Amino acid sequence: MGTIIVGMIVLCVIGLVVRSMVKDKKSGKSIQCGGSCSHCGGQCHMR
Amino acid sequence: MSIKIALAGNPNSGKTTLFNALTGSNQFVGNWPGVTVEKKEGKLKGHKDVIIMDLPGIYSLSPYTLEEVVARNYLIGERPDAILNIVDGTNIERNLYLSTQLLELGIPVIMAVNMMDLVEKNGDKIHINKLRQKLGCEVIEISALKGTGIREAAEKAVALAGKKNAEPAVHKFAAGVESTLDEIESRLDDSIPERQKRFFAVKLLEKDDKIQTQMKSVPDVSDVISRIEKEMDDDTESIITNERYVFISSIIDECCTKNRKRRMTTSDKIDRVVTNRWLALPIFAAVMVIVYLVSVSTVGTWATDWMNDGVFGDGWSLFGLVQVPGIPSVLEGGLDAIGCAVWLKGLILDGIVAGVGAVLGFVPQMLVLFIFLAFLEACGYMARVAFIMDRIFRKFGLSGKSFIPMLIGSGCGVPGIMASRTIENDRDRKMTIMTTTFIPCGAKLPIIALIAGALFGGAWWVAPSAYFVGIAAIICSGIILKKTKMFAGDPAPFVMELPAYHMPTVGNILRSMWERGWSFIKKAGTIILLSTIVVWFTTYFGWIDGQFRMLEDMELDHSILAAIGNAVSWIFIPLGWGDWKSAVAAITGLVAKENVVGTFGILYGFAEVAEDGSEIWGTLAGSMTAVAAYSFLIFNLLCAPCFAAMGAIKREMNNAKWFWFAIGYQTGLAYVVSLCVYQIGSLITGGSFGIWTAAAFLLVIGFLYLLFRPYRESSTLRVNMKGMAKAK
Repeated sequence: MGTIIVGMIVLCVIGLVVRSMVKDKKSGKSIQCGGSCSHCGGQCHMR
Repeated sequence: MSIKIALAGNPNSGKTTLFNALTGSNQFVGNWPGVTVEKKEGKLKGHKDVIIMDLPGIYSLSPYTLEEVVARNYLIGERPDAILNIVDGTNIERNLYLSTQLLELGIPVIMAVNMMDLVEKNGDKIHINKLRQKLGCEVIEISALKGTGIREAAEKAVALAGKKNAEPAVHKFAAGVESTLDEIESRLDDSIPERQKRFFAVKLLEKDDKIQTQMKSVPDVSDVISRIEKEMDDDTESIITNERYVFISSIIDECCTKNRKRRMTTSDKIDRVVTNRWLALPIFAAVMVIVYLVSVSTVGTWATDWMNDGVFGDGWSLFGLVQVPGIPSVLEGGLDAIGCAVWLKGLILDGIVAGVGAVLGFVPQMLVLFIFLAFLEACGYMARVAFIMDRIFRKFGLSGKSFIPMLIGSGCGVPGIMASRTIENDRDRKMTIMTTTFIPCGAKLPIIALIAGALFGGAWWVAPSAYFVGIAAIICSGIILKKTKMFAGDPAPFVMELPAYHMPTVGNILRSMWERGWSFIKKAGTIILLSTIVVWFTTYFGWIDGQFRMLEDMELDHSILAAIGNAVSWIFIPLGWGDWKSAVAAITGLVAKENVVGTFGILYGFAEVAEDGSEIWGTLAGSMTAVAAYSFLIFNLLCAPCFAAMGAIKREMNNAKWFWFAIGYQTGLAYVVSLCVYQIGSLITGGSFGIWTAAAFLLVIGFLYLLFRPYRESSTLRVNMKGMAKAK
């Protein structure tokens, strides 16, 4: 039972992480550079 | 219906500071020109229907630079309801050049004279009422940094935007020029609104060909242009520029009183020392040594030790009163209590906590570094560094303009590479793209801190040397590449305004630190977390006796990752770290550089070592010699950057051949330098002379030849006539 609960929590966390990354990607933010768009001057959005 | 107000002004006049104050945004503010390249929008505090648009800093509405194109296209195409023109009061003469152009756009303009506190401090006076009268628009004194007058400026801009109608520009040029403009205006058709006709007439007279794309029909005014050029014996663009400055001079005489007794400003005095021909470089080197020393080896180390040994280790003591247990022991206790399966416990403790924890352990060091960098940027010193570096870079084929992307790249390589697009010269731009990621970005700091702390016992010189290795790689690359046909040619001239030094606000520094730090933490919780799961799975699963199963700690040499590592680790044997663990750490660093530390955390049993109470990175230190560790550090600093940065290189190069050349060059240079460091370093520290040592000496000789061979201007021009004929 403990394994199932913890496993579900881990899966949920992974799901949320992937969802946030996809959301960031769709909104034009970079996933790997950390998405510090305000610092970089929004230059990712220029093309 | 919403009201749009555009903030327009010269670079470094305080637009973004004003934008943040008006909208409550946290946009990055830097004390060097060109921080804002793209426009940004936000809602005015207390007015949900008022949108404030922060435009890039521009000197004019002529399309000379990318920033000017962005700003001009917005003002002409989108037509905001009002323009809030920010003028730097300490440099009003130059700032008014843009103001005269904005007033011709037919959009209501309100002028905010910024930095009035500095104007008063200098003993100068600006007579606002006279300025208002001369320009024919509302003028308000403000100090964006101190927040004085900004509310009034915003309220007046909103009120002005509500009126919709702009007062026509009151400034007039010489009679001959005015009559020419009247003639051009009469040739414009009804598609151009009456209030914009003067602006388009001026642009047509200036032969601004890009303005024609904004017009439905373009009248032929060549006869008018040739006539006035003949009459005034000058080209029309110069005539208009001259007319504007004649008008501005007349304003300055009447509206400004300069302090005649004024001596050198504090900024001038500081610059006499920090930009001094002989002292500039030693001062810059000393500043960077202090920054990295404090960040990595002293203050940062105390905080990181607390994170690694306490929070992610065996617990810590809160003011000596309460013993707070470490995260791994709390999690382990909880997972044992609910009877969690061994494999899942392993995933959480040996994978996620060990990997992500190892990366997060370096957050304090990064935050200290980011505070220093933010301070140096905001006070104006980094702008001086670009100026200092221009003198050196120029000798080696690059211009100081290339230093701006490198400056931005010290936070993250991706925006650094993107920033190279402001370099007009294609050769310089390509070379800058190739070399920007040699400067250690924030993500490489954990690798530097790990090697400095775990393998060099916190030696003071390791972290600063990483920065100087990056600079040396850029300079040597500049020299070597400039001598090739691909990059030969003089560097483009570099003109940059040096802003006055000022003490940055604590809020601005903390905001900048938090933005950069948060992006690092966010990354640890997303891409690093997913990577650690993959690394854990490939580390703890493998085939033993033909059976695929979970492995014990002693069986990790049979893991999937070990198989991958062993397949490539031979490549790194000459570099001194040919074991599979170091090889896979370097490879996972391609996903994100923090992964190098995360992977070591998993492979060297971060959590278990901490439980034993021993030095957290002790096992790693035992697996590498100091010279091999430094070779590993150099390879990871100079080799191909993470995938995100590689993507940026690919986009900016816009050519597969150039992209692969850049990646190949970076990796090749990293390999050669690491090999030479390890082989020659080992020989000096008592190693034997082998075939790779001989190879290292040959490479050093070859490297020196490429550095010092004479630069020959090409005396022949090779043209592929057959190819040209085919193309025709």
